[in-house]
Amino acid sequence: MESASVPLERAPKRGRSRLRPFAFMSAPTVLLLLLFLMPMGVMLVISLEHGVLSGESGFTVSNFTDIVTDPLYREVALTTVIIATSAMLIQLVIAVPLAYVLAFKAGRWELPLLLFLVLADELNPMVRIYSWRMLLGREGLINSALMEIGIVNKPVDALLFSEFAVIIVLATSYLTYTVIPIYAAMKAIDRNLFEAALDLGAGWWVSARRVLLPLIAPGIFIALLLVYIPLFTDFASPALVGGSSGYMLGNAVQDLVLESGDLNAGAAMSMLMLAASAIFAVVAYRLSKIRQLES
Amino acid sequence: MPGARPVAPEGPRRDVPLSYRVRLRMPAVASVCLTAFVLLVLFGPVLMLALFSFNDSSIISLPWEGFTTHWYEEASSDNQAHDAVLNSLLVASIVTVGSLLLGTLAAWGLTRLRFPGRGFVAGLHGSVLVVPWLIIGVAGLIFFSELGVTLSLQTIGLMHLVVTFPLVVAIISAGLVRFSRSLEEAAIDLGASQLQLMRYVVLPHIAPSLAAAGIFAFAWSFNNFEISFFLGGFEQTFPVWVFSILRQSENLPLVNAVSTVIALAQVVAVVGAWRLMKRLTRNRGGDSALTELVTGGVR
Repeated sequence: MESASVPLERAPKRGRSRLRPFAFMSAPTVLLLLLFLMPMGVMLVISLEHGVLSGESGFTVSNFTDIVTDPLYREVALTTVIIATSAMLIQLVIAVPLAYVLAFKAGRWELPLLLFLVLADELNPMVRIYSWRMLLGREGLINSALMEIGIVNKPVDALLFSEFAVIIVLATSYLTYTVIPIYAAMKAIDRNLFEAALDLGAGWWVSARRVLLPLIAPGIFIALLLVYIPLFTDFASPALVGGSSGYMLGNAVQDLVLESGDLNAGAAMSMLMLAASAIFAVVAYRLSKIRQLES
Repeated sequence: MPGARPVAPEGPRRDVPLSYRVRLRMPAVASVCLTAFVLLVLFGPVLMLALFSFNDSSIISLPWEGFTTHWYEEASSDNQAHDAVLNSLLVASIVTVGSLLLGTLAAWGLTRLRFPGRGFVAGLHGSVLVVPWLIIGVAGLIFFSELGVTLSLQTIGLMHLVVTFPLVVAIISAGLVRFSRSLEEAAIDLGASQLQLMRYVVLPHIAPSLAAAGIFAFAWSFNNFEISFFLGGFEQTFPVWVFSILRQSENLPLVNAVSTVIALAQVVAVVGAWRLMKRLTRNRGGDSALTELVTGGVR
């Protein structure tokens, strides 16, 4: 652009234009290097050091091996994967049809509904978690309503402080970020494809599986990338509605760092979760770039 | 699904059997039910929370004990609640301004300029968006404690800025990519200076993206719990205050009252911003420009 359109007499200023990227990019990049990459680096070093109490110095991988070999943490990891995966599946089951309704059926309601979805995301997550706790609690609204009507005669304890409660709260917390990428993928679809499928004799199921699904697959992988990682590392919802059966890896990190003050073990645990997130992100990103899925 | 809607037959509707007519209406009914269900699940609990902030009882439970504004009076004189909300507002305002500045600079640099290491820098900005906030919070806590920096609102604000401005970069880059560069070249050919180019050509085109980025940046900082929780030290933001109250005790109508005020303010802010953006995009295809805006960041 520069060489094509800048008049000749401005040629001497080329030195300045070479500095332009620097002027634009230096402040943002330095901030990320100092306060994003450096803390990650420090955390990696800390995770490889002996604990202060052990009295030893030098580097070790024992923080990592302690976590990986601890059966308790393996159980917590399993709970975490079960909760995160269930919440993700529930969201996808709701999000795909909802995105379809938004993209093709909503008509003049399309924009207001999108606004509602954005609004749902902007509401404070802590307020949302609290409102669910209020509904599901032992003396909460659902229990007291059930008892008032006489369906049960003593409160149902399983509603709150269970895996179930965490799954419900998490599934409603991230729905916006699940719906919008799938909706965006659907908006890009040429509607004539559906008519062509119909003309060629495809029923709705074949048309959904062979036409719609391959085209929205990239959107689904983007949704996984955006939502599954925060689900997997969430610790506020399990801490407030999970009780002991909904204890997740995020809570383990919080307890290690803030309760027992074991920074080395906390750092090691965080590094393991970061590695898992990174692998997941790379796979989901690669898959989202595939334009055609064989079915 | 699209194939599910059979082609409506010509001729009088009376001939169509009832079961067929039901099948014809089913997709529409299912759409309405699904949408209603989602709205109920997303907003029902928060509406109940607002309702019970007016209940004249210290526990949140049926039966309804009568209407009161007592909890609002108590909330307005509660120092901790006050400080927490003010802290959050202060941090979010500063983070929004900082994110818009840094984010616009970086978005322009990454989409319009060529320089060595551009791929690495772009990847660095992108990777911030997928690293979980829990891990950024823990890393920040360890980093600042190794440096001997006391945790405070300033450390919260700095780390909020780090995680928020790459989002602004994503939203504004999407806006800049959509906007055709031939317009810029035309302006330069017609003799526009750099400043005029920015003021009269670029700025009007990215104004909706800037507005959207501003709202999201404010919300990300105001709502952020994980990072504030690890980096706050003895200072509390609003989400951290709610969390600590809920950890200590059972449900409190006081929290209902404060939360209702916050939620109401957020609804007003989002709806107001939406109307503003509608005006900004009106001369550029209106509705389609708005949906582009919501979906632009994720494409």
